[in-house]
Amino acid sequence: MNRLATAFVTVLLLAAACVPPALAANPKPGDILPDPEAKVELQAADAAALGLPTGAKSLRLSQIKARALLVEVYSLYCPRCQATAPKVNRLYERLAASPQAKGLVFVAVAAGDTPYEVEFFRKKFQAPMPMVPDSDYVLHKALQAVGTPSYFVLKALPKGKGLKVLFFQEGAFEDENAFFDQVLRAMAQD
Amino acid sequence: MRTPRAFSIIVLLLGLALLPVPAGAVDLKDMVLDPGGLKPVDSTLKVRPGDKAPEFTLPGVLLGQGGKRLVHLSDYRGRKNVMLTFVPAAFTPVCSDQWPGYNLAKNLFDEYDTQVLGISTDNLPSLYAWAMEMRGLWFPVLSDFWPHGAVAQTYGVLRSEGTAERAIVIIDKRGVVRFARSFNINTRPDLGLIMGELHKLEEEQNALPAAPGRP
Repeated sequence: MNRLATAFVTVLLLAAACVPPALAANPKPGDILPDPEAKVELQAADAAALGLPTGAKSLRLSQIKARALLVEVYSLYCPRCQATAPKVNRLYERLAASPQAKGLVFVAVAAGDTPYEVEFFRKKFQAPMPMVPDSDYVLHKALQAVGTPSYFVLKALPKGKGLKVLFFQEGAFEDENAFFDQVLRAMAQD
Repeated sequence: MRTPRAFSIIVLLLGLALLPVPAGAVDLKDMVLDPGGLKPVDSTLKVRPGDKAPEFTLPGVLLGQGGKRLVHLSDYRGRKNVMLTFVPAAFTPVCSDQWPGYNLAKNLFDEYDTQVLGISTDNLPSLYAWAMEMRGLWFPVLSDFWPHGAVAQTYGVLRSEGTAERAIVIIDKRGVVRFARSFNINTRPDLGLIMGELHKLEEEQNALPAAPGRP
């Protein structure tokens, strides 16, 4: 019986030693994220696509006129984002053409990138979606400083109460059809 | 004696099955060490515009072009402008570092007739693995590992902890420094600023009278 107890204690000690260190958790559906005001330099076409006044110098994600937002957090400097850019373009076109996705606004938030860098990326990949240079990482921080690329479906809560996470995925998506469906499902949930 | 031992082993195995299993996917942002906020600049530049760029020879990796080789700064004399991009260390957040951006911007560097040379004080195997993780780069990545940081020291971009600054040095075809700056190590230099400097350099080069042709 003694040995049994020893074995049990050993297992417990092992278990305690194997608990991974606490890492900041990624966002999950139901979380409410802050909605800070970021200083941004938007292209006129992007401002129009987001329903913001031309020449707007700042942005809260909740100001974007939408039923829900699909936010891609990316950077020019992220090789995974470069590699997946054509897929993301296709997703954008598909959502834009889908009646089920009516009211969903796709916006790419460029974490830490300058307006020059955003324009370079847009031109390089002929990216069709509105893009926001988040040069000071204000939006990136509010989006929990996730790795790039990451994807959120967000809904703005009334009275500036923040942004509700309906869907989150970190890392590029493999299956375009499955991802498209997931986005639509997340949007329909709410 | 036998039965209790066998029993203990079974309990041990059952217990092992209950050990916390590491999550299938580790969050991307947790894959690299977060160095926290570092002192923005921790050295004093020793080169200034107008100076002759100190010559160096470093071992480097150029993926897809024969692997390891020695690179001399003078290899590019008379042929190309050179942009030295010193970075602090391999495997700092790969998704927020500079080189994948320069990799994508090859056409812009080509337009300005500029060869990029990446330099860090890491050893060659680490640099190689890092370059592979970045899915390959079109420019050589040079290892200023031994004597440790000697080139970085010469240019005045070696930090007190032995890593290089996040510095950019632009050298023209005559081997003269045209731009040198250590940027805040915690942020990236704007690609627009770099292209602005290369544009200036090109305009100045175009304004020079053409070298007399051979008779």
